[in-house]
Amino acid sequence: MQPDGSGRIRVDGLGKTFGAVAAVRGLSFTVEPGAVTGFLGPNGSGKTTTLRAILGLVRPTTGSALVEGVPYAQLAQPGRVVGAVLEAQGVHPGRTARRHLEAVAAAVGVSDERVAQVLELVGLADAADRLAGGFSLGMNQRLALATALLGDPRILVLDEPGNGLDPQGIAWLRTFLRGFARSGRTVLVSSHQLAEIGQTVDRLVVVDGGSCVYQGGLDGVRGRAAVRVRCADPARLAEALAARGVLEIDHLADGELAVAADAVLVGDTALAAGVALYGLVEERGDLEQMFLRLTGGVA
Amino acid sequence: MTPVLRSEALKALTVRSWWTLALPVAALAIMINIFGGVFGAAVGSGLDEGLPGVLLASLAYSLSLTSVFAAVYGAVSATAEFRHRTVSTTYLTGGRHPVLLAKAAVAAGVGAGYALLAGVLGLFAGLLGQGAARLPPVGLLLGVIAFGIAVCAVWGALGVAVGTLVTNQAGAVVSLLVYLLVAENLIALVLRSGADDDRAPGAVARLSSFLPGNATDIALYDLPAHELGGRFGTSLVEGLAGVSGPPPGWGALLVLLVWAGAGMALAWVVGDRRDIT
Repeated sequence: MQPDGSGRIRVDGLGKTFGAVAAVRGLSFTVEPGAVTGFLGPNGSGKTTTLRAILGLVRPTTGSALVEGVPYAQLAQPGRVVGAVLEAQGVHPGRTARRHLEAVAAAVGVSDERVAQVLELVGLADAADRLAGGFSLGMNQRLALATALLGDPRILVLDEPGNGLDPQGIAWLRTFLRGFARSGRTVLVSSHQLAEIGQTVDRLVVVDGGSCVYQGGLDGVRGRAAVRVRCADPARLAEALAARGVLEIDHLADGELAVAADAVLVGDTALAAGVALYGLVEERGDLEQMFLRLTGGVA
Repeated sequence: MTPVLRSEALKALTVRSWWTLALPVAALAIMINIFGGVFGAAVGSGLDEGLPGVLLASLAYSLSLTSVFAAVYGAVSATAEFRHRTVSTTYLTGGRHPVLLAKAAVAAGVGAGYALLAGVLGLFAGLLGQGAARLPPVGLLLGVIAFGIAVCAVWGALGVAVGTLVTNQAGAVVSLLVYLLVAENLIALVLRSGADDDRAPGAVARLSSFLPGNATDIALYDLPAHELGGRFGTSLVEGLAGVSGPPPGWGALLVLLVWAGAGMALAWVVGDRRDIT
């Protein structure tokens, strides 16, 4: 089979067991080009294992993880198709940033001019001839990104790239990833920190305990938000809402209702049912709450 | 393949390990062969033709030690990827099999370089040591150094195979050293313990010649021993290498190549299946 050049990543029924531990269980999702896809989950949810399976560094126990329709190992020039920034990605401490990049550039098949370009791009030009052993965590992350970008790849896979970056670095990375995706290329970025990823991603894949609990757009997630209603007769309003097909209604301890519906619909229903409303608060659930709800944390 | 080879060569040259290991190689070659030259000249002084074979033997001995450094270099270069966690990037850009082959090729080159260094420095040191005493035949000198270059190249590659199998750097280096300096001698001792007649060693005792470290010594000592010992050359090889019923030098080199091939094949399979987490 030939790689299709689509820039698409497809994970299908992926499972990976390390000894007795099932790190990933029957995980399926697709990552499309032209968007930043966030890969979200708590620590230990199987994110890193999944990313490494996509990159051919971990052999799936079951299922498959394909890049452009083929396993990573079958890509003819992998360095020009996929760039990866992995967690705890190393550089030999006795090598300068430039020498490190030159060695990788040789394997990828790009010139040393490209090395200078990526150093400039990630803001490491001034530190290029220093030994990587003396780099801060943030500088190492920048160097890892520079390494990933050497082959000008169609796909970027990043595992927790924000770790160690200062706020300016994170802001820069956000802008960079959005621009990269806007040029029609693929970005898959994992994180356990929602604040970091929320403003960057177009799509989300959420995993918990090695399985996919959500995949889709951000709006789909936010659409599930609830309206909190304080009214004269909660029971009657709930009945009236149920009659209109709104069944997700929680009776809260303080007598309020949490209704999974649009505020307009709730207001109209209350008026029609003759229930006085004292308060109607739309809770556009933020990603944090959504994340905790999906992954079984406490919201 | 070529881009990966270039990448691995660049990696090798941009860290210190190759020359930090070259320093003891040079020092040992100089010391051993000065002594070899002095000793050969002293022992041979009473003889009409001198004893030029002693210098050949001391060269062989220093090349035998050099092969250990070549192996250590190979193991260090392969395990450095795991120690410094650069292996993900290396495998992602190069592919596992091309990387293994390229590393083995580079380590073979470095090993050959060590042997050349030890051979040249050792020769000069030996000449210095023996003063005006008679020179060994040039063909034999070159022969010993050529065998040294070959075995050190093979050990460089074998070291990469070991380092790919045992990815812990200290573990790989210590395993190699313990095996070569201690374990193999014990194994050879056990294998040879059953032989009552040295002139007709049994099949088990002969196995001692087919251990990788012993095969290395046979390949290196074959020429010096036959120069020194004449028709007792084979017995001298047995004594110097600690083996029974040794094959000829080129045969021993083939044995070593088979070990390297086996090591690389194992590394090929195991390295391919390993999860890089």
